[in-house]
Amino acid sequence: MKHTLLCVFISIWSMNTITAQLPHDQIYMNKNIACGALMYGNSSWTNYWENSLKRDNPNIGKLSTESLGAMIAYGITKKINALVMVPYVKTQASQGNLMGQQGFQDVSLWLKAKVFNYKQLHGHATLGVSTPMSNYVTEFMPMSIGLGAKTLSARGILNYNLPSNLYLSTTASYIFRSQVQVDRDSYLNGERLYYTNRVPVPDAFDAAFRMGYLKKENQLEVFAEHFSCAGGDDIRRNSMPFLTNDMTMTAVGAYAKYQPKSLGLSARVSYVIDGQNAGQSTQVTIGLLYLFKVK
Amino acid sequence: MKKTIYYFIYLLSFGMLLSCENSVSEATLSPYVPSNMDENAGNWKTFVLSSPTEVSLSAPAAINDPSYLREIDSLKNTVAPNLTNEQRQIVSYWGAGAVYRWNEIARELAARYNNAPAANSEGKYPVPDANNPLADPKFPFANPPYASRALAYLSVAQFDALVSTWKYKYQYNRPAPSVVDKGIKALLPVSNLPSYPSEDAVVGQASYVILLAMFPGEGSFLKSKLEECKNARLWAGMNVGSDIQAGVSLGGAVAAKVMQRAKADGMGAANNQAATADMMAGAKSMGISKVWTSQESPARPPLLPTFGNVKTWNFDRATLEAIRPSMPYVEGSAEFKKDWDELLAIEKNQTREQAAIANFWADGPGTYTPPGHWHRYGANAGFEAKYSEVRMARMLAYLGTAEMDAGIGCWDTKFYYYTPRPQQYGVKTSVGLPNFPSYTSGHSTFSAAGAEVLSAFFPQKASTFNSYAQQASDSRVYGLIHWRVDCTMGLKHGKIIGQYAVKRASQDGAL
Repeated sequence: MKHTLLCVFISIWSMNTITAQLPHDQIYMNKNIACGALMYGNSSWTNYWENSLKRDNPNIGKLSTESLGAMIAYGITKKINALVMVPYVKTQASQGNLMGQQGFQDVSLWLKAKVFNYKQLHGHATLGVSTPMSNYVTEFMPMSIGLGAKTLSARGILNYNLPSNLYLSTTASYIFRSQVQVDRDSYLNGERLYYTNRVPVPDAFDAAFRMGYLKKENQLEVFAEHFSCAGGDDIRRNSMPFLTNDMTMTAVGAYAKYQPKSLGLSARVSYVIDGQNAGQSTQVTIGLLYLFKVK
Repeated sequence: MKKTIYYFIYLLSFGMLLSCENSVSEATLSPYVPSNMDENAGNWKTFVLSSPTEVSLSAPAAINDPSYLREIDSLKNTVAPNLTNEQRQIVSYWGAGAVYRWNEIARELAARYNNAPAANSEGKYPVPDANNPLADPKFPFANPPYASRALAYLSVAQFDALVSTWKYKYQYNRPAPSVVDKGIKALLPVSNLPSYPSEDAVVGQASYVILLAMFPGEGSFLKSKLEECKNARLWAGMNVGSDIQAGVSLGGAVAAKVMQRAKADGMGAANNQAATADMMAGAKSMGISKVWTSQESPARPPLLPTFGNVKTWNFDRATLEAIRPSMPYVEGSAEFKKDWDELLAIEKNQTREQAAIANFWADGPGTYTPPGHWHRYGANAGFEAKYSEVRMARMLAYLGTAEMDAGIGCWDTKFYYYTPRPQQYGVKTSVGLPNFPSYTSGHSTFSAAGAEVLSAFFPQKASTFNSYAQQASDSRVYGLIHWRVDCTMGLKHGKIIGQYAVKRASQDGAL
């Protein structure tokens, strides 16, 4: 069996919630080959940007978001893969009296396809959808486990193979996000008070640049990523964040995967270096991968 | 390959479905002709004015006077033919009623200003400065007592000004422009209400004066709303310029009298932090072994510790003390233990429904607070009942004064007993913790008072309002920031406070 391997990772993006869990690599499962993965993620911040003001908050201390994700990737064909992921998320503040939240967050499904090959340049596209698995509380930010929006994301990936198993890769995506129904029946968005329980979560886009080394099953990569919203308001002075906020983050990080046989390990670290309406997260994700043949 | 294209198309269409709904919709409000014109409202009992004619208003020009005819001509031949779509939208917005809209504007301002000051680098919390309202921290911090007071004065000023308005309307009996000249096609429903002075201009100017005093940093915003409110009446062909000018003059003068009461009601002394030492000592002497302390870091001085001394509307100081809730359960008692166990059980296993109720009624930072929530219910109920402007303002004035009295009574109680929050014993909260003593629950007091008044005006909705009050009260236990006794006693207290407003309304002939 030719081991065409999978790599996945989870980006824990926002102040505390996973909002962009997108596979963005150039690696495919062969037809009828599946890969199961268990991912543990820990994202935390002490400092955050209240609008553009960087600050800490002794009534929160360090806000930690732990997640445990189960994932399956499957080769529909050699060039088309499907991925499904189910995360369980738990939040906690180290100080103050805000109650931690936990629960199943959003189930995600992606399709990934090779679009073109031109010499060493390869193009890929992914299409993903996600929807909340449970009726978790969304308006109790930053303790909420997620934003509660259904999403549709479209992403393009350009990959350029260099000699010596090195590669460069760049991705860009747009994420449509649905309105969310909250428990309250009015909320501020910008300067206006809306008398409804329907809250628009702004659409978002992200872009990344990666370079790395990939040989057979093993991979090492460094990356820079940027996430931003298409509109939205800012956190008001000394207030908590809300679903309507225009979150922006720029992060750098590294990723490694080692998969000698059917069992493998992956690890990812990222750190937000700049942002707005967002936490300065440090995130670590560790994955246990298992490759198997279906049928 | 073909099959996979279908997968993509399927996914894409699913996604498009969810992303199409990009703007939120709110209930639309169709203008109405009031079910009752309240022709006798000029004789209704006012709150602050000694009589409906305390502010005088000169007679308008007759409808055959050249100056009036020029105004009519302007509406017909200058304003109407040049109306833009934007102006029509503004007409439609204000068509919901000036009292309704200004109440809504006040709630929006309350929400925008409802943020506690941030600590500075020395760990101190600067006090908002009315003379520098847009500095950090902004003035005001529109917390629940502040919002209750702002809304009370707004509604009282609107009401007193409208009683006076009705008096002059029926005294001078100037018909509506579209009645005088059939060539004027009004954009809003026309009733037989006399048009001088313009009730919208009266309400607009009165609201402007009150809200500018309450939110001094919002001058340009309020001015633009006032201009809209007045112009909408011209654009709609509902009033001529002299109707508007008379309304501005009357509304402004009545509001100035109402502001005299506001300036002398003791609000300026409501943040006397020096009084807290004696309050704590008093509570300890009554057996409150563990008094309230701020759970914020750095510790924040309590919110308006002497708001309980502010002048009430519907009962006097002796009554306030007489109806003050009795001593709450103290640590060590079986009842205290029972309340604590309830909180522990909720903390361990808060249901989604409990969280939803806690969130719905949280009305915390960035919201219009519980008094705002109840004003919203009042305004909507009045709208549904097709209340006239003066009837709407009257109902909101009794509601608003009851809410402010509830705030005063509750704050007096809170700082009299100075009891600890459950967080001082270790539970967390799912809604955020207010920074003042626990007993009694402000939400419970505001809500029971609100429900009592609204039930008197809308008896067919009494069970709904009472169930809302119960739910608002429960929400504070579900959110883990109040002991059960805070809520049950707050409800009782609020109901009594509401009854004083109802009694006054009844004596005034408003019910």
